[in-house]
Amino acid sequence: MINVEGLTRRYGNFAAVDDVSFVCQPGRVTGFLGPNGAGKTTTMRVMVGLTPPTSGRVTIGGHLYHDIPNPGRHVGVLLDASAQHAGRTGREILTIGAQTMGLPMSRVDEMLDLVSLDKTESRRRLRNYSLGMKQRLGIAHALLGDPSVLILDEPANGLDPAGIRWMRGLLKGYADRGGTVCLSSHLLNEVEQIADEMILIGRGKIVASGTKEELLSGAEQKSAYVTALDNELLTKALTGKGFGVSAAGTGLRVEAAPVDVGRVAAEQAIVLTDLRSADGGLEELFLTLTEDTQRDDVPTQGAQA
Amino acid sequence: MSATTAPMNLDVTGTDRVPMSRLAKVEFRKALDTRAGRWFVISILALVVVVEVIYAFAANDQSKNFQDFVQISGFVLGYFLPIIIIMLVTSEASQRNGLVTFTLEPQRSRVVVAKFIAGLTLGASVLILAFILAGLGTLFGIVTGGSPEWSLDGNLMFNGFVLSNVIGIFIGFAISMLIMNTAGAIVAYFAYSLILPTAVGILSALSSTFEDIAPWIEFNTAQTPLFSGDYTPTAEEWAQIATSGTIWLIIPLALGIWRLMRIEFK
Repeated sequence: MINVEGLTRRYGNFAAVDDVSFVCQPGRVTGFLGPNGAGKTTTMRVMVGLTPPTSGRVTIGGHLYHDIPNPGRHVGVLLDASAQHAGRTGREILTIGAQTMGLPMSRVDEMLDLVSLDKTESRRRLRNYSLGMKQRLGIAHALLGDPSVLILDEPANGLDPAGIRWMRGLLKGYADRGGTVCLSSHLLNEVEQIADEMILIGRGKIVASGTKEELLSGAEQKSAYVTALDNELLTKALTGKGFGVSAAGTGLRVEAAPVDVGRVAAEQAIVLTDLRSADGGLEELFLTLTEDTQRDDVPTQGAQA
Repeated sequence: MSATTAPMNLDVTGTDRVPMSRLAKVEFRKALDTRAGRWFVISILALVVVVEVIYAFAANDQSKNFQDFVQISGFVLGYFLPIIIIMLVTSEASQRNGLVTFTLEPQRSRVVVAKFIAGLTLGASVLILAFILAGLGTLFGIVTGGSPEWSLDGNLMFNGFVLSNVIGIFIGFAISMLIMNTAGAIVAYFAYSLILPTAVGILSALSSTFEDIAPWIEFNTAQTPLFSGDYTPTAEEWAQIATSGTIWLIIPLALGIWRLMRIEFK
């Protein structure tokens, strides 16, 4: 539905987005993931015509955004929840949107309900909103015109854990009904929970893409965190098999794949209360792939999964 | 959204463009739906009332005609109407809601036209209210001892009250489009409307050559015949309005629109 074709955006000699191509399918949530300044926002701004591309193009359902009549009815956009007149009330912001799109005013109340902003909150001015409330209002604004495509830049930013869970349900339901969702984030955990498909971008280039399983299939699992009812017994059993074991918190860190640890525990009939891979999984993959594009040095040996 | 189908193509044949009337209506609403916008308009009208009341007390009884009061309210609006327009246009950039405005209507030129229509409508409404206030001021003038005449000079009405304020709206629009920042545009507007004419006045006093050139290149000076004498500019004076108007109005407006069409709106 969203088709990014060979997109490049340069600022002088600097390529904010460098020959990026990907597709966001209907019925799926596509997560656009990358460190700060990787080119996520620029790509999304090109999608909706706010930034002209240097070369390449983006089509949404076969159209350039610019050519979609009354685009709010087809594409819901949230680029920056704070980019609204600070002196307008939340309700007024939605009213202006609904009026532009030619929607009945009842839609405003429906959307306020959907994002759980109550009557008093909706009458407060935007400058008095918390980031989480602004984000909810922005999502309400994006959904106003009942669009079939959603483009959301960092939508989970500022939401509390309950808010993130709520948004996950909302977007999942939206995609299940056939909608196309493209959302960006710099927080892997967020995207991992919400997105069906992930596009990893670093320094303007796509470094990996696919489902979580596809992305992880190449990664080796060499160590595990495990906790048993009887840690001592487990340690004995594991060292007996020649695996390195060290204490980690209330459990153990084992230099073996989780499957091997599980096998040893099963053989010895030791009850495990927790077993997981100590390799960072997606996070490690993400950091490795975007290593040369990170701003800060990241300790490669994750202290905690 | 259709229930279960997931089409790769977006069918937009059933959707009409946002009509200009609706865009303009929304822009008009946006001029008044914030405290800043609403109170600014109310303050200007209040200022008109205050100035007229003072005038009713201060002026001598022969100059308390309806026309005098209309002139005074037109004069007050002349300074402040452009600022209403500046706030309407520049808030898109200063408050960054342009991000949403230009996403809902990606044809930026249509937003510009809508803003202009909204600005003119708002300006016209304020002018009409000011005209009514001038009537009330005249009645108040009777209380303070005046015996007013109610007749109006057509040229004065059109040039001094309507045309000058429409030009003011255009100026506000041009400056906003060029500067796209509320504070900057207001400063520029006052520099244009207060400092510039003073500077030109001083230079004209020093140099007679400059005095001859001034009305051709300085828009305020060129407009003087609209509001003084018999309110009827000569052909040469109209030509001066046209040339200086091109410099101060058309060129900045064209540059501003040209830029808005091309920039990355942040």
